[in-house]
Amino acid sequence: MRGRRSAIPTAAEEPGRYAVEMRGVHKAFGAVTVLDDVDLAVRRGEFVGLVGPSGAGKSTLLRLVNGMHTVERGSVRTLGTDPATCSRRGLRALRTKVGFAFQQFGLVGRLSAMENVLMGALATLRWPRYGVMSYPRALRVAALENLDRVGMADQRFQRCDTLSGGQQQRVAVARTLMQGPQLILADEPVASLDPASSALVLDILRRISREDDISVLCSLHQVELALANADRIVALRAGRVVLDEAADTLTADRLRTVYGTGDGTDG
Amino acid sequence: MADGGPAPAPPRPRAVLEPGRLRPPVRPASLAVGALPVAGVVLTGVAFWWIGVSVPSLLAGLGDTLALLRRMLPPDLPPAPGLLSAVVETLLIAVAGTGIATLVSLPLAFAASRSHGSARLVRGVARLVIVLTRVVPTLVFAILFVRVFGLGPLAGGLAVAVHSVGMIAKLATDVIDEADPLPAEAVRACGARRWHVAVSTVVPRVLPSLVSIVLYRLDINIRASAVLGLVGAGGIGVALQTALGGLDYDRAAGIIGVIIALILVLEVLSVATRKRVGAAVPDRTTKGHVLPVSAGARHDVGWDRGRILRFAAVAATVVLFVVSVWSLEPAPQRLLDAWPNLRQLLTGMWPPAFSSDIVLGVLESLLMAIAAAVVGSAGGLVLALLTARGIAPWRPLATAARALVVVLRGVPDLVYALLFVAALGLGPFAGLLALWISCTALAAKFFTDSLEELDAVPRQALESVGATRPQVFLGATWPQFVPAFTGNGLFVVDLALRESIVLGIVGAGGIGYLMQESVATLSYDVTSAIVIVIAVVVYGIETIAQAARRQLLGR
Repeated sequence: MRGRRSAIPTAAEEPGRYAVEMRGVHKAFGAVTVLDDVDLAVRRGEFVGLVGPSGAGKSTLLRLVNGMHTVERGSVRTLGTDPATCSRRGLRALRTKVGFAFQQFGLVGRLSAMENVLMGALATLRWPRYGVMSYPRALRVAALENLDRVGMADQRFQRCDTLSGGQQQRVAVARTLMQGPQLILADEPVASLDPASSALVLDILRRISREDDISVLCSLHQVELALANADRIVALRAGRVVLDEAADTLTADRLRTVYGTGDGTDG
Repeated sequence: MADGGPAPAPPRPRAVLEPGRLRPPVRPASLAVGALPVAGVVLTGVAFWWIGVSVPSLLAGLGDTLALLRRMLPPDLPPAPGLLSAVVETLLIAVAGTGIATLVSLPLAFAASRSHGSARLVRGVARLVIVLTRVVPTLVFAILFVRVFGLGPLAGGLAVAVHSVGMIAKLATDVIDEADPLPAEAVRACGARRWHVAVSTVVPRVLPSLVSIVLYRLDINIRASAVLGLVGAGGIGVALQTALGGLDYDRAAGIIGVIIALILVLEVLSVATRKRVGAAVPDRTTKGHVLPVSAGARHDVGWDRGRILRFAAVAATVVLFVVSVWSLEPAPQRLLDAWPNLRQLLTGMWPPAFSSDIVLGVLESLLMAIAAAVVGSAGGLVLALLTARGIAPWRPLATAARALVVVLRGVPDLVYALLFVAALGLGPFAGLLALWISCTALAAKFFTDSLEELDAVPRQALESVGATRPQVFLGATWPQFVPAFTGNGLFVVDLALRESIVLGIVGAGGIGYLMQESVATLSYDVTSAIVIVIAVVVYGIETIAQAARRQLLGR
């Protein structure tokens, strides 16, 4: 632990090198400690897989990064800004640069894929919008391009609740692309998908990360998927970082022994 | 799986897009549903013109109402013993009516259910009884039963019972039809008779739902029995009618206060009870499975605390029910005396005497109901947005709005109608205002509940995009809320229509006045014609509402 901490240079030494920087982060809900002395750094353009059993603190960690939760001790810097010190307007400005993909997708089922994707650009607009045609033409063109990037352009006017789980998650990824994000946080994006859809969604995320130089911090349950897609693996167990290594030097068996089998009873 | 296909192609150069591809196709179904609110607003305009609602008339009405409220201060309570016995009588009417209705509803529900193989004719008759008892309001039954059984709580209790059969039996039929058919099949495969199957597989499965249905109905019935006295059918309403008839507004205010307090106390109790009943269900199933196994050869689970409490609750319910029925004084002689009245009523009802007055009266009730529901839904939406957890902008305001809704809902519609009639005079204007208030409170409660049930993830997703509050509302909350808004809005119209029918009984416009007059003058052929027209209109509105709800929820 200590050795690794000193390996992370501070932002002052190399400004702009990190998309996410957490130091000595502690977070509890009531009497339950969820994160305990966590250090984590995500470089620009890096794809970091966050693995660990249920309840290890993965979701909480992601929500600290975009300011949905705030830390009790320690510091968080997201794209060089501390979300906890932001005003409401400042937080909104920060979030426009951070995409978030949810396990349950967060799409409005009754609306079309196109309209859901367009909502990713809401922060660039002043007034509320309702209906695809209420968005400017340029945004509609951009939305179609982003749907095309995730292979969903043909279904753009289909209601989201008629799409399969994998298709919905791809639409959700297209929505984060509308933000033009520098960082994408993905909270178990494939946990409710079948293996083929999971592989496809992660493949899309990785490709986007490479092509647009977007940092991705993605929590995952499945060790194999993490190893196949991430540049670096960070393992959490009971709120502590128990492993932080480059993916190409790790084997699935070693990773499993380090953080324990994902039986969901831990933490 | 649609995702099993090939991985998406690598990034392409910017596609050249013609504008048509950016415009969503138009769906006829969504246009039809969109026409509903437009129709509502148009009909509201017609109703306002018919009744003569305008800004000056509303302002004048406000002044008159305030003047009346000033005359009601300070409220004056009737002597304690009389008041207490009136309250107890009100409660007992509701308990007796609900109990009788439950006993009648169970066999009726089995007869009406699709999954228990009753003959088609039996099923049809059972369904007809359920529909008829549901569409005719309690107070209409009360007027008729006062004629048959004379003044007093017996007429009230029976009116409550007959109308409740419609709702309890309908909901119970749905629950029975939705219960998993496999256990019933298994028992039937063992050679059990039809009623064995019903008792040992269906009853245990539907019992928790049935308990909450009955408790819910009891809650409604207590509100209903508080105003039965206005037509002489017993309860605290008799005292209210006497006070208002004698222009004793201080006394009336006191009695209304008691009614509100009573309903608020019961609201708290019923919420607590329903929570307990809901929580007790998993507990019971675990015990049923675990105890006999651990106790080895024992075939009796023994008397643990839960079983004693359950037994005591059942015993207390039975005793309370018997006492409540007894309190209605159903002496055999009295029932025999009622027979000639009943025969006169039934023979006098045929043939029904339809007239244009009836159609106009029903039309007026319908317009009042739609206008009140539309304006009330708009007000209710504002209140709900101020109240709902996760959406309300400011917590103290939310608490205040919630309290306002609870108090507004605590007053029965008929009491509002009585007050407005006293302040503004007879006519539909008073009725519309009364319905308006009760629809606002009702819509606020429905909307708050469904807003709080919405999926929070889309909202969080838009917050994480950096959207502003209004953008999050219009982008994530509103589209999710539209089906509930329309469905509940139609339900409010449905309820308002039933209420608007009875408002005329106190002179607040609509068909109710004609109805009461026809009974008072023994013109039962007019009464039956009115009941038939009401049944057709209520059933029609219900059918439209159901179709719209299906259209919205279906794809």
